[in-house]
Amino acid sequence: MKKKFRKLLSLAFTGVLLGSAAAGLYAHAGEPYDVYNYDRWGEAIPSQAGYIADHTVSGYDLGIGAFNEPSDIFFDHNDLFYIVDSKNNRIVVLNETLDKVEHIYDDFTMPDGSATHLKNPQGIYVSAENDNIYIADNENSRVLICDYDGNVVREITKPTSEVYDQKRTFLPQRVIADKAGNVYIVLGNITTGAAMFDPEGEFTGFYGANRVQPTAEIIGNYFTSLFMSEEKKARRARNVPTGITSFDIDGDFIFTCTSSSTQTTDTVKKLNAAGNNIFANLDLSFGDYTPMYDTSQNKVLQPAIVDIDIAEDGNINCLDFTTGRVFQYDEDCNLLFITGTIAKQVGGFDHAAALESHGNNLYVLDSQKDTVTIFTETEFGKIVHEATEKHNAGYYEEALGPWYEVLKRDGNYRRAYVGVASALLRQEDYEGSMKYAELADSPRIYNKAFEGYRMNYLKEHFGTIVFVLVLIAAAWIFISRKLKKRRLAIEAARAEADRLALQGKEEE
Amino acid sequence: MMDLTQREWVKHAITHPAEGFEDMRWKKAGSLKIAFFIVFLLFLAVIADGRLYGFQFGVTYDKTFNIIPYIVKSIVLFAAWVVGNWSICTLLDGEGTAKNICIYSAYALIPYIAQIFINVILSHFLVQDEVVFMNAIRIIGVGWSAILLFSAIKSVHQYSFGKTIFAIILTIVAMLIMLFLLVLFMSLVQQVYIFISTIYTEISYRIRV
Repeated sequence: MKKKFRKLLSLAFTGVLLGSAAAGLYAHAGEPYDVYNYDRWGEAIPSQAGYIADHTVSGYDLGIGAFNEPSDIFFDHNDLFYIVDSKNNRIVVLNETLDKVEHIYDDFTMPDGSATHLKNPQGIYVSAENDNIYIADNENSRVLICDYDGNVVREITKPTSEVYDQKRTFLPQRVIADKAGNVYIVLGNITTGAAMFDPEGEFTGFYGANRVQPTAEIIGNYFTSLFMSEEKKARRARNVPTGITSFDIDGDFIFTCTSSSTQTTDTVKKLNAAGNNIFANLDLSFGDYTPMYDTSQNKVLQPAIVDIDIAEDGNINCLDFTTGRVFQYDEDCNLLFITGTIAKQVGGFDHAAALESHGNNLYVLDSQKDTVTIFTETEFGKIVHEATEKHNAGYYEEALGPWYEVLKRDGNYRRAYVGVASALLRQEDYEGSMKYAELADSPRIYNKAFEGYRMNYLKEHFGTIVFVLVLIAAAWIFISRKLKKRRLAIEAARAEADRLALQGKEEE
Repeated sequence: MMDLTQREWVKHAITHPAEGFEDMRWKKAGSLKIAFFIVFLLFLAVIADGRLYGFQFGVTYDKTFNIIPYIVKSIVLFAAWVVGNWSICTLLDGEGTAKNICIYSAYALIPYIAQIFINVILSHFLVQDEVVFMNAIRIIGVGWSAILLFSAIKSVHQYSFGKTIFAIILTIVAMLIMLFLLVLFMSLVQQVYIFISTIYTEISYRIRV
């Protein structure tokens, strides 16, 4: 008996120990920053994390020596992970879980059989259509297109075309290719957009230039320039937009981002095949709404979106260099999650350089820490993604369950209220929809729900309403008649009194 | 002739835009008490306009409520109008006293106030597609009030049509000048306050040591 009791006690004790260990583990998974989101008024409010930092991978961990200022990462269609190890002049290829080196590219074979090396490569892209690897070989002023064995298929160098100003350098920073094999290259110090090359490597023009932000200074310059001579105009500073910083391709659309401390227009663009920005007139804002004020440097830290990535489910991930945060938007540019910070801990960055997503994970490259940080989706993130995906596809009612689940975990999540209100509206539960629309601060949905509610109310209570109206009218007529009669009687009495008084006077 | 109670005078004034205020002046009617009550109603109307609309006509920012802007938009604005008009029209041979200007102007505001209350109530029964009804009511209310205000100034000072317009424009200028001086005065007071409080802090430190 005693033995049994002791056994039980020890069991209970072990259970408590395990429990506390689990709690400790949970606390360990906390981020080195406060997770927040924005409410309808653009004010930051506490929120649940959609992603948490899992671990980091460095060159040491892989046994291939530290990375040296890596600048780009990429996941290809075969689930291979590419790291552009810039200052080591090599491309490192890892497996899907980032724990095994599959290949290291540092020398390539040219079509004529000679060997060639990279010099400060900056960008990489692997085409799913033709299995080619595209490398932006920055200081060699070329883009290499090679196969998986490192045999160079084609080399794109500075175009000799008239359109390309020959005084300018050709320094590729990022490269992508579309389904047809057209190559797009982001070049340093070129502000007229990405250089576009056809599949044969012929220069075909520039693609997707940014607009100049119409500041007061630029408008003023325009008016003064109307009165200037040609010589003077040629000598003054030109108004040029900031060049594209990075881009990503998703199906038929190319998404570009621009990091600039002065420009706030066109920081993120969605370009169609013709190079027109679909986001141009949507009045969207990316990054923090209110720029962070840094007291130690006494300056306002403008968001600088240095990399953009489109996830498989269409979500847009933007990497803000200034705050070290990843802003995730759904395909309609509604903010979902904000992840990351500037910090030394796991989950924080020194010099966030590139961003990639794969499956449910986010990968962020830091070119100072020389590591890749892996963020995994939380339970909360998973539910939000499910709900958003269904909602955006138009399956409002199917999204209702997940949205309720979201609200259970985070009562501040505004998108969930919008989702529930929309779903209830479609289910013709107008009263419920009105309630949630009010919580979501969405007059648009409330208006529709109210219209339905009013219609139902009128239909249901039509008899009563007519009855009450008739009753009021009858009472009105009755009372006004009574009052009139009384007034007449009073007036008659007054007149009589006056007459009598007058009579009395006369008699005197 | 025209033996009306003060309440009936209000009704008479706002339903006879051309002659109502002339009659009031002739009979020396008009009550300051009612005028103040109307200004108070204006204050309530401005608040209702800012915050009590139906949810389908826009969301109000309800994290904070600051009453000062509403006071400025109603009571202070009305006071500035009365003082400004009185100062201008005293110089322009106007016959109105400050009291009469206050009473007549307040009476003229009634359609504007009524318009706001009607719209606020309607906004809880209409949807956005039917906003045209509310706009119609607003235009009628504001227009009516403008005509009444013009008529009020015209009769209280016994001006001609042209001179009334001139006086109203000058009144608006006077209001702006007053506003400017007020802001100037406020910042001056603030400076003086800071100066005195700094001296006080300084002295209190010295005494302690």
